[in-house]
Amino acid sequence: MNAIAFLLPLALLLGGLFAVMFVIAAARGQFDDLDDPPQRILHD
Amino acid sequence: MVRARCPHCGTPVEGATDAFCCAGCETAYDIIHGAGLARYYEERSEFAPRPEPVAGGWAAVPVDTLPGGLCEVRLRVEGLRCASCVWVVERVLEATPGVTHAQVSYATGRATLRWQTGSTDLPRLAQRIAALGYTPRALGVEARPDRGLLLRLGVASFAAMNLMLLHASIYTGWIDTMEPRFLALFQWTALILATPVALWCASPFFAGAVSGLRAGVLHMDVPIALGVAIMYGHGVVTTIRGHETYLDSLGMLVALLLAGRMLEARGRRRAAEAAVSLAASVPHAARRVTADGVETVPASAIAVGDTIDVAAGEEVAADGVVVRGRGHLKRALLTGEAEPVEVETGDRVEAGTVLVDGNVSVRVLAVGKDTVLRRMAAQLESAADRGVKPTTADRIAPLFTAATLLVAALTFAGWTIADDVSRAIPITVAVLVVACPCALALSHPLSAAAGLGAAARRGLLFRSSDALLDMSTVDTVMLDKTGTITAGEMQVTDAADDVLRIAAALERNSIHPIARAIVRECAERGIALPFASDVRETPGVGIEGVVGGHAWSLRSGGPGIVNLLYPDGRVAGQIRLADGLRADAPATVHALHARGVNVVLLTGDHEVAARRMAAAAAIDVVLADCDPEKKAEYIRDARGRGRTVLYAGDGLNDGPALAAADVGIAMAGGAASSVLVADGVISSSAIAPILAGFRAADACRQVIRANVRRSVVYNISAVAAAAAGLVNPLVAAVLMPISSGLVIRGAFRVERLMRAAEEA
Repeated sequence: MNAIAFLLPLALLLGGLFAVMFVIAAARGQFDDLDDPPQRILHD
Repeated sequence: MVRARCPHCGTPVEGATDAFCCAGCETAYDIIHGAGLARYYEERSEFAPRPEPVAGGWAAVPVDTLPGGLCEVRLRVEGLRCASCVWVVERVLEATPGVTHAQVSYATGRATLRWQTGSTDLPRLAQRIAALGYTPRALGVEARPDRGLLLRLGVASFAAMNLMLLHASIYTGWIDTMEPRFLALFQWTALILATPVALWCASPFFAGAVSGLRAGVLHMDVPIALGVAIMYGHGVVTTIRGHETYLDSLGMLVALLLAGRMLEARGRRRAAEAAVSLAASVPHAARRVTADGVETVPASAIAVGDTIDVAAGEEVAADGVVVRGRGHLKRALLTGEAEPVEVETGDRVEAGTVLVDGNVSVRVLAVGKDTVLRRMAAQLESAADRGVKPTTADRIAPLFTAATLLVAALTFAGWTIADDVSRAIPITVAVLVVACPCALALSHPLSAAAGLGAAARRGLLFRSSDALLDMSTVDTVMLDKTGTITAGEMQVTDAADDVLRIAAALERNSIHPIARAIVRECAERGIALPFASDVRETPGVGIEGVVGGHAWSLRSGGPGIVNLLYPDGRVAGQIRLADGLRADAPATVHALHARGVNVVLLTGDHEVAARRMAAAAAIDVVLADCDPEKKAEYIRDARGRGRTVLYAGDGLNDGPALAAADVGIAMAGGAASSVLVADGVISSSAIAPILAGFRAADACRQVIRANVRRSVVYNISAVAAAAAGLVNPLVAAVLMPISSGLVIRGAFRVERLMRAAEEA
């Protein structure tokens, strides 16, 4: 069980890392427009 | 610092390569992109004219001055979520000293403010709106997507999933006893994860609840906020004491509700954006004739008394009178008539009409708000505001909240008397937790978003879910003729291939609607176009040129007839054109009849033409020779007889009828203001999407009813169980996702039900 004391914060840290990455991406507007970019590719 | 150019108007700007020079440009850019016309920016040869800028804070936003020392301004207010939000904004503004009038429309999110000049000003009023938690925006600045909701959803989902894992461990620990220090570790970790969820992610619900309470309305946010507050408060206390918590339920509740809210907001935003791009028809530039020549200026810079040049294909920017030149003018926006009329010196022209051929100079008589177009549009918009209908969930909410609080109070009192306070507190908390109406709050937005999406995919965009739901009760459909059951543009009805071939070769580069119809017909028949040389187009007269070594000319042979002539004037062939019935009109009318819906043709055209078109479309009731007011009169009549009326039309002249009907549907390509007044817009060149609207409404209503029923049954039984002391955090953690899952599954049924209806 002692392993959990080590693994739990580690797992949260890793998960939290992805959550922070998502927040940064969203705050920079990566998800503002999910429809136009795939369409624009077709115009090129 | 990088020197770059504004992507829209080309003004040099400093900063990133995609920086705009002004908000106006960004709006235009967004609209063009939103309509899927991004190609425009690659294919144009010159930068676009600069639209009216609305930058530099509220002090710079133009305010209209009215007689009597009043100022008026129209704004968009964002963040309006329900009827009570509108109510709050209106009330607060009206209570501001100096404000004489404040009206907010939920459907369009627009506010009209009027105040005594000098007693207050726009920056202060905007500040008032912002202080309430809503975002005022100058009209014309498009909204950015709501990133806040997405961020909250992301954080809440992360926390919810981890909370679930932690609590799964805690629950299994109950069976297979867990060491206290690990239990404490898990519980404190859970509390840390739950804190941002309760304090930040759930803030929209708290804000909604507070504004609702301030307005004296108990809407859906109130019980939700109550549940979240109870769960978190209870969690903090019990974690310190080392008892079980409801924090996993809290995480899931907030994540699910945010997801539902985001889906609904996205659906609404899409419809609104699509409507705006369909409605984008006001010209932004005009060519002003000055002593030094002709200069291109923003339409807003045109003043009464100026002279402007209008070339073929251009929209007239202001009302005025023709002082030079001649041409054909398409007045479809104003009159609904597809056929262009001839204008020459001395004739009136109106803003928003399109010169299809020729070249005229116009002396300006009225601009901006005073133009016929804007006056009619303003009238329509004020007529179209029919207030907000609360959703089923919103209607249940006050009752529901009151009942919950009553049951909680009784439970607390009962258990205190029967047992003691230490036993009564956890049971009362359980009652408040399971009473939190997650499924009920999800039922409407999810089903509505699914219904709006299903209808939109089939070519019918609704402005609100209310309008969609109203469709299922419609028993009378009234249709306009030109542009609604007909295509609204000339089509070749009769012509020999050889004649068409030569005519199309001559007209290949002309933008006249008749020319376009001839060229289009050629393409449809698969006729290859020969080369034409020496082509000369004389506006208002015709076109001539050489095809295959012979000289030809095209002349009008009366309404709907084009003659191909030899050089000596003999007629070589004839092309007949008419505004034809839409291909899907008869089938649509049949399907409506099969549904038991009355179909009526309502037109300003004369009886004979209307009857002929009605017969072709299998419509048996015709009301001809209607002016705009008479159409609205017929509709009000029918409604007075207990009918629920849907009206579909495309012109500015259809505005009163669209506003009078229970459900008004505008056509893409119709008048901008008809699109803005209508409850829905058909986005393709077809009439059949009306059927999709009916099917989506039926499916949506059926699903919402089932969902509300389900969640009410769940809540009542869960509250009863909790009051009996049978619910602990584990039971709550299992029950809540089951009820919400059923509601979510129900929303997916909308699309399935629609497919089934389409096959039947």
